[in-house]
Amino acid sequence: MDGGRIHRFHVARDVEEALSLLSAYGGKGALLAGGVDLLRGPLARVEGLIDITRMGLSSVAEARGGVTVGATSTLTQILESPAARRYVRGILVEVMRAVAVPPLRNMATLGGALVSAHPWADLPTALVALGAEARWRGEKEGKAPVEDLYRGEFRKTFRTAVLIEVSLPPWDGAFAYEKVGRTRYDIALVNACCGLGIEDGTIRWARVAVGARPDRGERLPEIEAALVGREPGEKLWTEIQELVEARVEVGDDRRAGRAWRRKTAGVLVRRALIRAARGAAA
Amino acid sequence: MKLSFELNGVAQYLEADPGERLLSLLRRIGMKSVKEGCDTGDCGACTILIDGRAVRSCLMVAPQVQGKRVTTLEGLGTVDDPHPLQRAFLEAGAVQCGFCTPGMVVIAYELLSRNDDPTPDEVREAIAGNLCRCTGYVKIVDAVLLAARWKREGRWR
Ligand SMILES: Cc1cc2nc3c(=O)[nH]c(=O)nc-3n(C[C@H](O)[C@H](O)[C@H](O)COP(=O)(O)OP(=O)(O)OC[C@H]3O[C@@H](n4cnc5c(N)ncnc54)[C@H](O)[C@@H]3O)c2cc1C
Ligand code: FES
Ligand code: FES
Repeated sequence: MDGGRIHRFHVARDVEEALSLLSAYGGKGALLAGGVDLLRGPLARVEGLIDITRMGLSSVAEARGGVTVGATSTLTQILESPAARRYVRGILVEVMRAVAVPPLRNMATLGGALVSAHPWADLPTALVALGAEARWRGEKEGKAPVEDLYRGEFRKTFRTAVLIEVSLPPWDGAFAYEKVGRTRYDIALVNACCGLGIEDGTIRWARVAVGARPDRGERLPEIEAALVGREPGEKLWTEIQELVEARVEVGDDRRAGRAWRRKTAGVLVRRALIRAARGAAA
Repeated sequence: MKLSFELNGVAQYLEADPGERLLSLLRRIGMKSVKEGCDTGDCGACTILIDGRAVRSCLMVAPQVQGKRVTTLEGLGTVDDPHPLQRAFLEAGAVQCGFCTPGMVVIAYELLSRNDDPTPDEVREAIAGNLCRCTGYVKIVDAVLLAARWKREGRWR
């Protein structure tokens, strides 16, 4: 797969330069972050690569009680950063460790994961559950919850814009991430990310997202509402597991069937809730 | 285009096509330990170190290493002077056809450079993306644990 039609490689010094190169290529240029996704396929349409990893967008910092991650931070950088380790009892560390294997995490960036947005991917599900907000620069500056981006035409947006950073808000409680694949390191057949805030033995807030359905991770507001105001425990977990099974929108693909996904989604949400409740009570 | 980077401690100045795979470039200049197994990031046979971190050279283009420090197995040990990890692979019987071995040694090197007392599970996690079709992995894990012990005992060069 050598060479192809790529005849230029640019290293963008800053976002302005990346944007002007992108527009100069008019659809035939591609932003290159970790390259894990971009260089895996045939680059039929791409003539110029624009490396965006040397623009100073690779920091992970505490901000407003949460954490802000620069778009070109690698998953390993996030995993090893003190800010991510401290964020909501280490949920980012748990999520990053669920993605692929160490050498791929050394390459893949948060921005690349957000923009490639594979429906089976781990990060979209987690980012939606955690209420992440994305900030980008195109012709104008843009800012939106990742959840809203995924409901809209985000692929079109990022054809002419550079994702700058992703901010995660603080949460007073705990989250847990669950994933099943054919092996521990395979991509997910179903994944789930759940969070709970518990006060005086009562659930005050709940976040539940399920992904690889096989569609991309989405929140289940009905399930979240069914958790709030209730007392955490075996009875509730069983009730919620059944409700997820009844309501989650799942489908068939060549990797798994609808009925199996339905059952598995219920089990994963149950497991994540049990661990989140334990974390939130601690 | 012109490229300069450090390869196994030696400065390189060479020409590369902007779209040339790093894997191909490294083999072209004689680094034959770097194997092409899948070309899609799945098998680990092409694993090398960039600035001390393990990466897949099949999922990179050559210009990405501009100004960086690249290490292949050739930079860790030679036939006459093998790296302790290579000696441990021999001693544990962790090599059969050998196609996966360079990638395995490199990924183990990264692990041990940051953790010289890994648990068997930590070794398994580190090598999980490196496929071996011969050994069944047990002896590879043994070899990495043996090399780790040697490292703790001060028996690495
Ligand atoms: C073998 C293998 C195993 C994998 N396993 C998993 C797994 O278990 N779980 C999982 O979730 N994912 C997995 N992935 C997918 C991987 O995590 C993503 O492909 C990766 O995160 C992409 O990041 P990148 O930085 O390499 O993106 P790149 O390949 O550099 O870019 C991907 C796309 O995003 C665009 N882009 C990148 N950065 C920006 C930016 N800042 N602004 C605008 N556009 C941008 C690029 O132009 C390109 O179109 C796997 C991939 C491989 C190859
Ligand atoms: S050849 Fe690179 S991972 Fe298989
Ligand atoms: S020894 Fe043959 S693939 Fe590992």
